[in-house]
Amino acid sequence: MTALLDVLLAAAVLVAAVATLLAPRAGSGVLLFLVLGLLLVLVWARLGAPDVALAEAAIASGATGALLVSAVTGRRPPAEPDRARRSWAALLPLGAAAAAGALLGGVLVRARRDGAGPGRLGDLAREADGVVSHPVTTVLLDLRALDTLLEIAVLTAAVLAALALHRDGTLAAVALPADTRPVLRGFVHLAVPLVLLLVGWFLVAGSSRPGGAFQAGALLAGAALLLALTGRRDLVPTGRWLPPAVVVGLAGFLALAGGTRLLAGTWLALAPPWGAAAVLALEAVLVVAIGAGLAALVLAARPDRRVAAPTPPADAAPAPDRQAPR
Amino acid sequence: MSAPDTFLVLGAVVTLLGAARLLTTRDHLRQIIALNVAGAGTLLVLVALGSEGTGTADPVLQALALTGIVITVAVTGLALVLVRRVDAAAADADADGDGDGHG
Repeated sequence: MTALLDVLLAAAVLVAAVATLLAPRAGSGVLLFLVLGLLLVLVWARLGAPDVALAEAAIASGATGALLVSAVTGRRPPAEPDRARRSWAALLPLGAAAAAGALLGGVLVRARRDGAGPGRLGDLAREADGVVSHPVTTVLLDLRALDTLLEIAVLTAAVLAALALHRDGTLAAVALPADTRPVLRGFVHLAVPLVLLLVGWFLVAGSSRPGGAFQAGALLAGAALLLALTGRRDLVPTGRWLPPAVVVGLAGFLALAGGTRLLAGTWLALAPPWGAAAVLALEAVLVVAIGAGLAALVLAARPDRRVAAPTPPADAAPAPDRQAPR
Repeated sequence: MSAPDTFLVLGAVVTLLGAARLLTTRDHLRQIIALNVAGAGTLLVLVALGSEGTGTADPVLQALALTGIVITVAVTGLALVLVRRVDAAAADADADGDGDGHG
């Protein structure tokens, strides 16, 4: 019975993926991608990976979905889709790719069988006595903390690069039209405190059970974007506080690395008496950075407000033709 | 076929489908969506490889999948901003080419 459900779930994922890839309009492709994300959450749960399921729901489907919707709504439709020619031309490579994928899948199934058995890396990670009890958090922030440090560096670099493409390097010039419909405002007033409560729960829970800084950060970004929908910038520092908020996670991580090097002698080596508190403090800083970064990425997908003419700053040397008679 | 095997094959197929679409479409936004679909397929392969089918999945591979998800969203966000700039530049070039008389 469960085997049948597995096959049905796999078929649903496959259909959603093909429909996402072949959607005639980009907007419907984005919505189908959200459907694909929801189905994948079920797959992660079936495979016994609750951390990935939470991250998929919050980041891969939630934040990416918000990014894509934000981009597709601010975009002019392309001139001429010429669907008749493209639908046949697109099917041939996809069919070839599906056949090659099935063959590759056969190879992977055999590889998985050969690799089964005791003494795998994951078993070693489970048995390692890290400073926190949840094995995924142990891998992320204790055993392989350098990987996570570099991951935060990539995210920070991407957000700073996206900000650099906006005027003044901040989002202050991005228009945030306030949606004043009462139902939406009421929903936001109810939802944002609940989401913030969940952020705190995921942050604290990450030490002992599924959850952690990334899921909590994505939820924080969701709360910030809900507020931004109603025109409020309470949780999105769109001005000059944005770059510090984005960089604080990487800075905190580097400070922890330097502190452990000075005090314990090894980079990022966490020891039991204070290690759990250090992990929690680091995750708290990461939540702020990830939340601000993801929210900034979504808002950065919107265009800047157009200005009538480029105006030089008031204290700059005035151009000769701009000297007004006094 | 056990559950991890089913999803292993599914992951391989989805990865290659996304990659094929990424290479054959010329619309930038669709390329980004195809990249995300291919990335989801890769994560399926990654997690299914380390899954026992009954208990919990491999924590090392789960951590790798988490890292992959965060990197993907960072790449997607930056790519979307770049695509908007490219589209705006192309629209400006079109307007300049068509509307010389308007100045």
